[in-house]
Amino acid sequence: MNCEVCQLKELEVEHFEIREVLRCILHTIVFHRALGLVRPKDVDLELFEITYVQCGDVELEKKIDEKIDHFISWVEKHPNKKSQICLSFYEVKSKQPSWFTNKTERLYWEQWYINLNVTQHPKHHSSKSHHTKLVVDPGESATEERSSRRAMVEASLREVLFQIIKFVNEKKDHVPPISEGVIYFPYEITIPSSSDSAFGMDMIKRMLHSGHPTMLS
Amino acid sequence: MHQPQKENIVFEDLFSLRNLFDPMVIDIILVHRGSCSSSVDNLYSPSAPAAGPADETVIERWVVQYDCPRFIATPSGADACVSYKKIYKKSIILLRSLYTQMRLLPAYRIFKQLSSLSQTYNFDLVYKVSSFSHPFSREEESGMKEYIFAPVEALSGCLSVSVTYRATLSDFNLEPLVSLPPKIITDYVGSPTTDPMRSFPSSDKGAHATSFPLRGARPPSSSPFQRPHSWSSGFHRGFPSTKTQSLAGSPPVYRTSPKPYDIASPPTDLYGNRIQNQRVSTLQQVTAYDEYKSSPPFSPSASPSTPSYLSGTNPLRTRHCSETAPVTIPLPLTGRSTRYLSPNSSDPSRHSLPPLSPRSSKHDASSQESPSGIRSYRKIEALRAGESPSGLSNNYSAQKVVRDSKDDSGRFSALLSSSGSPRIGFSRSSSRLSFQDDMDDCEFSCPFDVDDVDVSDSSSQNTEGKKASEFTAQSNLVGKKSHDAAVGILVHMLRTAPPLRQDSSCYSTHSLRTEYEGGVSIASGFFMPRKTADALEELNSYREMKDLLLSKSGTRVVRKEEIK
Repeated sequence: MNCEVCQLKELEVEHFEIREVLRCILHTIVFHRALGLVRPKDVDLELFEITYVQCGDVELEKKIDEKIDHFISWVEKHPNKKSQICLSFYEVKSKQPSWFTNKTERLYWEQWYINLNVTQHPKHHSSKSHHTKLVVDPGESATEERSSRRAMVEASLREVLFQIIKFVNEKKDHVPPISEGVIYFPYEITIPSSSDSAFGMDMIKRMLHSGHPTMLS
Repeated sequence: MHQPQKENIVFEDLFSLRNLFDPMVIDIILVHRGSCSSSVDNLYSPSAPAAGPADETVIERWVVQYDCPRFIATPSGADACVSYKKIYKKSIILLRSLYTQMRLLPAYRIFKQLSSLSQTYNFDLVYKVSSFSHPFSREEESGMKEYIFAPVEALSGCLSVSVTYRATLSDFNLEPLVSLPPKIITDYVGSPTTDPMRSFPSSDKGAHATSFPLRGARPPSSSPFQRPHSWSSGFHRGFPSTKTQSLAGSPPVYRTSPKPYDIASPPTDLYGNRIQNQRVSTLQQVTAYDEYKSSPPFSPSASPSTPSYLSGTNPLRTRHCSETAPVTIPLPLTGRSTRYLSPNSSDPSRHSLPPLSPRSSKHDASSQESPSGIRSYRKIEALRAGESPSGLSNNYSAQKVVRDSKDDSGRFSALLSSSGSPRIGFSRSSSRLSFQDDMDDCEFSCPFDVDDVDVSDSSSQNTEGKKASEFTAQSNLVGKKSHDAAVGILVHMLRTAPPLRQDSSCYSTHSLRTEYEGGVSIASGFFMPRKTADALEELNSYREMKDLLLSKSGTRVVRKEEIK
């Protein structure tokens, strides 16, 4: 079974937008992969005029929020860095134990890479800021810049969501059959680790399991 | 599909299609009314057609089609099961993506705005389901995007869904309608759940606050009821706004503990409770009469209102405070009579009665005081001048404030009868003579109906009553008209008492002396077996009362013994 990989469009977000953006994207993906009985719940974003859908599962929401918290803490330690969050769906296969493998094996059949570029947007600028060539009123320009930037992020996020829907619609054959009583496919969310070396090891592990080169920015 | 109720209609339209394989086209149409002054008019008459032309624009077009191939392969056995699972999986994924996609389209934002009830807008969303659709013009297509969902291949066909939508709706002037600023209703009467005891503030129209408790409301005397409540009961209708109020309803503190008196025929109107209160409160007016143990059944005022608290301006209370009138009140033969018949048990000041009310203070609806109370003043003053026994006058004054729901005047006959057989009877003639002026003023009646208390010793009482009538006759001779009226009322009160009523047929209008003698003779015919000592004691008390009254009026007391 192939592992389908979807690289989502990079989003340039600010620190305070990380949580909402990640929640939106992760829940949207899981909603398309939780093919059991769910009770959809519409959630309106506060920062953007976007409504996404959750599965209505409290446990799922809690897990995703924990991962987002870990990611935010990592971003705080590594500011102004491009980061990637990987949402992987796998199957658990039992395998004969060997000397270097475990009894159970995860067969990833789908991976979603959420690319984020967390920027620390400069706050109130002086007239010497390179962002504003012509300073009429720093307050007004900052407000307009902020609103335009917000609109851009909203449009990008909407595009990402459309991308997810398109990917979900186009590729369905790799999705394992639905087991009776099972709501979610097993999944895991991988965030960059604190150390680059460990992060590199995680990527190597992923490559070994999936057999596909992962694209890192 | 934007509204749940429309989803059911869509399903009905689907089944109404002639050919199941015809495409089902669902157009989401934006009905946009031009923003102008008419939009404000539409606010008040949303059903009325808009003044301006309403533009209809298809902002979404969903096409659902089930293609049936010519050749249908029907798997069997295990393949069928696998096939159905795959079909189900793909259908579920299609449904999820459809669910998510719908909320990302621009029309969803408009739908949410319309769903919110906070504002009204100059646009509306409608849908149309058909099996064919008019193609878009080039201009329309230029601003629209299309997305085709991955078809789901089923065993007997292929289900495909596509949507063509407007990428942006910023071209439309979609704005909320101008709404009037909220207006504060100053005279809001509230709902039936509103506290009925709440008083409403006066408005500019002159309506005054009116409170309507469940019973016995006392509307302000200065304001008529202006705004009837549709939910209120009829108790407030025909409410006499300026009807004089009865006395205070709160049980005052008595020097002597009031006892529940045995009333033969207590007032059974709706204001029984207030009767009790008024009774108690009225007793406070005569608190100076300490010997009054058994509270008379004071009937409430005619106006169906709660007893109003007597203010300091109440003349009854004022006069009461200025003078203490320890007049004993005759009681039935219950063993307590001796207690009440001895005026000596109280201080001399108790023999004084409150002064008479002014002559002009007749029973007037505009009066703020209880007309019964006013009348009682007259009676009291008449008693004082009329040489009435202290106890009797006390009873008289106390009883005069009693009212029933039927009339404003008080009836004291029942009081006497309820309290037992009165010891004193008055000449009817004299009472009538003195009673005329009062009768001219108001409709005098006793607080209670005639009861059937059988008094065994009415004869002796009549004797005493006749003696008292002599006193009243003397007061008439002294005679100010008000005094005569007071005495007359007292006489009437005593006369209509049960033992006196039995003699009523014997009473006739004669001269005072003749009447007196006749009364004596008649009274003697109705002698009731009782202790002579009690009767004499009662007589003495009445004599003393009379002396006190006459002494104050400067009239020499003429006693029966002296006459003889």
